[in-house]
Amino acid sequence: MHIPDGYLGPQTYAVLDAAIVPLWMIAGARIRKTLKARQVPMMALAAAFSFVIMMFNVPVPGGSTGHAVGAVLIAILLGPWAAVVAVSIALVVQALVFADGGITAIGANVVNMAVIMPFVGFYLYRLVAGDRPGFGRRIVAAGIGAWVGIVAASIAAGVEFGLQPLLSHTASGQPLYAPYPLAVAVPAMALEHMLFFGPLEAVVTMGIVAVLARQDSALLDMKPAARPLRWLWAALAALILLTPIGVLATGTAWGEWSAAQLKGALGYVPAGLGRVGTLWTASMPAYMPPFIANPLVGYLVAAALGATLVVGVAWGLGKLLSRKDGSTPVDPPSARL
Amino acid sequence: MTAEFVLTGASHSYGAGICALDGIDLTVEPGEHVAVVGANGSGKSTLLKMLDGLAFCTTGTIATAGRPLTEEALEDPAFRREFRSRVGFVFQDADVQLFCNTAFDELAFGPLQLGLDHDEVRTRVAEVAASLRIERLLDRAPYTLSGGEKKRVAIASVLTMRPRVLLMDEPTNALDPRSQVWLLDVLDEWKRAGRTVVIATHDLSAAAESCERMIVLSEEHRIVADGPPEEVLAQRDLLLSVNLVHEHAHRHGADRHVHPHAHEHEHA
Amino acid sequence: MIPALAHIGEAPPRRRGSVRSLARRTADAIGHAVAEVLENDELASGPGLMQALDPRFKLVSIVAFAVTASFVHSLPVLIALVLATMALAAASSVSVTSFAGKVWSSAGLFALLVCAPSATAWITPGAVLVPLGPASITAPGLLIASRLIARVIAGAGFGLLVIWTTRWTDVLRALSSLGVPDLVVATLAMTQKQIMSLLRTVENMHLARESRMLSTGSATENRGWVVDRMAFVARRSMKTADDVYDAMLARGYSGAMPSLIDLRATARDWAWMAAGVTACVLVLGIDRMVFPT
Repeated sequence: MHIPDGYLGPQTYAVLDAAIVPLWMIAGARIRKTLKARQVPMMALAAAFSFVIMMFNVPVPGGSTGHAVGAVLIAILLGPWAAVVAVSIALVVQALVFADGGITAIGANVVNMAVIMPFVGFYLYRLVAGDRPGFGRRIVAAGIGAWVGIVAASIAAGVEFGLQPLLSHTASGQPLYAPYPLAVAVPAMALEHMLFFGPLEAVVTMGIVAVLARQDSALLDMKPAARPLRWLWAALAALILLTPIGVLATGTAWGEWSAAQLKGALGYVPAGLGRVGTLWTASMPAYMPPFIANPLVGYLVAAALGATLVVGVAWGLGKLLSRKDGSTPVDPPSARL
Repeated sequence: MTAEFVLTGASHSYGAGICALDGIDLTVEPGEHVAVVGANGSGKSTLLKMLDGLAFCTTGTIATAGRPLTEEALEDPAFRREFRSRVGFVFQDADVQLFCNTAFDELAFGPLQLGLDHDEVRTRVAEVAASLRIERLLDRAPYTLSGGEKKRVAIASVLTMRPRVLLMDEPTNALDPRSQVWLLDVLDEWKRAGRTVVIATHDLSAAAESCERMIVLSEEHRIVADGPPEEVLAQRDLLLSVNLVHEHAHRHGADRHVHPHAHEHEHA
Repeated sequence: MIPALAHIGEAPPRRRGSVRSLARRTADAIGHAVAEVLENDELASGPGLMQALDPRFKLVSIVAFAVTASFVHSLPVLIALVLATMALAAASSVSVTSFAGKVWSSAGLFALLVCAPSATAWITPGAVLVPLGPASITAPGLLIASRLIARVIAGAGFGLLVIWTTRWTDVLRALSSLGVPDLVVATLAMTQKQIMSLLRTVENMHLARESRMLSTGSATENRGWVVDRMAFVARRSMKTADDVYDAMLARGYSGAMPSLIDLRATARDWAWMAAGVTACVLVLGIDRMVFPT
């Protein structure tokens, strides 16, 4: 899921690179509050752990091996904001020491693997684990959190890839960056992670949580569920809306779209887009204005739906949990973690 | 002259009441070289950490240079500054102690934390690097150094703070014979310079060679002997009882005889 | 998961007829990665065009190159960028073949796999070049795929070149003097160091297992063992974090990480900068004027 340079166009990576700056600042402020001076060694070790976890070859059925990301595990051990920092650092070190993952794409990689994955996974873990003291349920919860977390991250990556043919193309409509439309990129990324890397991530996360529960259960003390700031969600929502709108920044406004204009602008319609477009237009009642029954609109709707689904699920979980936490606040075990 | 450290009935337990040190009474005078010996888990490292203000008494008291050494006392920036520059700690694992970007940064870390101006920091780094002959390592990242080089850099990183007291945890561990000799020379030099040194070790020969006072911790985490090394080492039964030496069977021809035997190095 | 990471462990070629166990493969891969980082330090300390530059200028040029490459649309200009990275490699005492091999195995091959379908009629209809039914390669498809691969290779190549010619310690000093907060730089430094030491531990764990195993073991056994070792690394990391914190406190750490850095830019650095800016402007100009798309 590490996106190298060259796959994402400037509009996409610029937005994502800009988005991670405030995220890092919030995360930094959070861990400063909970970890105080200990933050430097703690984050360094967590980042090193995250990096090293990615180096283990884990056998998967079929004789092959794969790698886990470990973001959900770190969120379970240290809390989601600490996971944001730790996995981000691991990604930066990978990019700057081992030349893995792009420079411009660092924002995309951080958003997918260091933000979406730990947050979705962590809140799901908290939701499923509940307040029960037993570890059995927590282990299952960790597995579910890990699976959903990585699948959510892969959908986000799929959306980022899938937007490229829409956002950047030549005058004749050829995609300049990642070539696959949403209808191909999102299912491809999601399926691969649902079937292959998701189960791997789940097995690894469950296994480690199970071993820790047996040997060193203090590490699994429930961390306070940091309540995501309201405006953070607002910013994410704005991001989702803004990204597809970039498609329209070709000089025409929403209402002025017509099929003919579009043909002039795009000239060329990739087969995948054509397929989604046909589906979309076919499902539109005949009395709808033409710009709605347009393949590109179908596209935008698909993109917005996909991204909203991911964020919506995370937000809903957060909501559910913060309600629960409101009545019984969970204190950090100690400043020492 | 006030004693460097005074411990009165000092005990330390961690976690769910697991005892690490039990009722320690100990006074360390300025300029003394003290070796703390004991088996694994006897509390040597904990004692050093308490002397360095990294672990604190659960019961009892500990004072340094006439002031109580507590967590609250160390929150006072003036005291922390004075204490940290006076007392240096060389950790057993150099990998833990070296956490900066380059060896130069390691040596500069302490002085920078003390808030010294940059020229003074550079001077100190150059001086210490020259005295330990590690100038050519200054530019290197710690992870590229060998074990012996790491130890030198770790010691240098403490010396740039010009401490009067040095606490060393298992200093000869993981050192090749040549580096061990070098270390003993350094300790002699500190002795002449009047520095106080407290070493925790189970290397009895090194302890006897470098210190004029030996303290034995039992496996019950108490002090069971305190005196000049020759006297302490003469008490074979005592050393046997605290598991520092063990009966060793030898075969001489057809005869088999048993005698107490001290190991220079830890049993793996 | 991380195709780009797989190359770190580009293991030495497998001997014919021998099936290497999972433990051996992982240990080799990790040992190789560690060795590469150490060798890298050596290469970066040696002579060469890029080695002689101020690390700050190199970091800025990494970003400038990546951004410029992302705006280039025409295939010829992208190919020129790829050739430029190879010329820079040659000027920096980097073996061009090993450089090209590394770029290809780390980024190029994956890009090729990813965009192969987009070169076919299935995704990109158009004039068929190689008829293979639904997988026929079309002219526009080939152009789309080549453009992406060239851009990926150019970006990865320049990034790799800067990494190969800059010591990690200098990268950190540069970050620090470019305004990245000291705490962040200190954390990065510690992370890298701990990665090296954890990787060595992990390598040894795998070697120890290898030396005790007679068969290669079943997938389930191996998985159980790997997960158990990961848990061990997790606990070790937490403990080391506590120990390192103590070591920092012992040397007077109070929450700030001031550093002493004296990087001085020379005429050579400013010349590099001027050349770089000119190159970026030229590249974009040629791309838009000479090869409009």
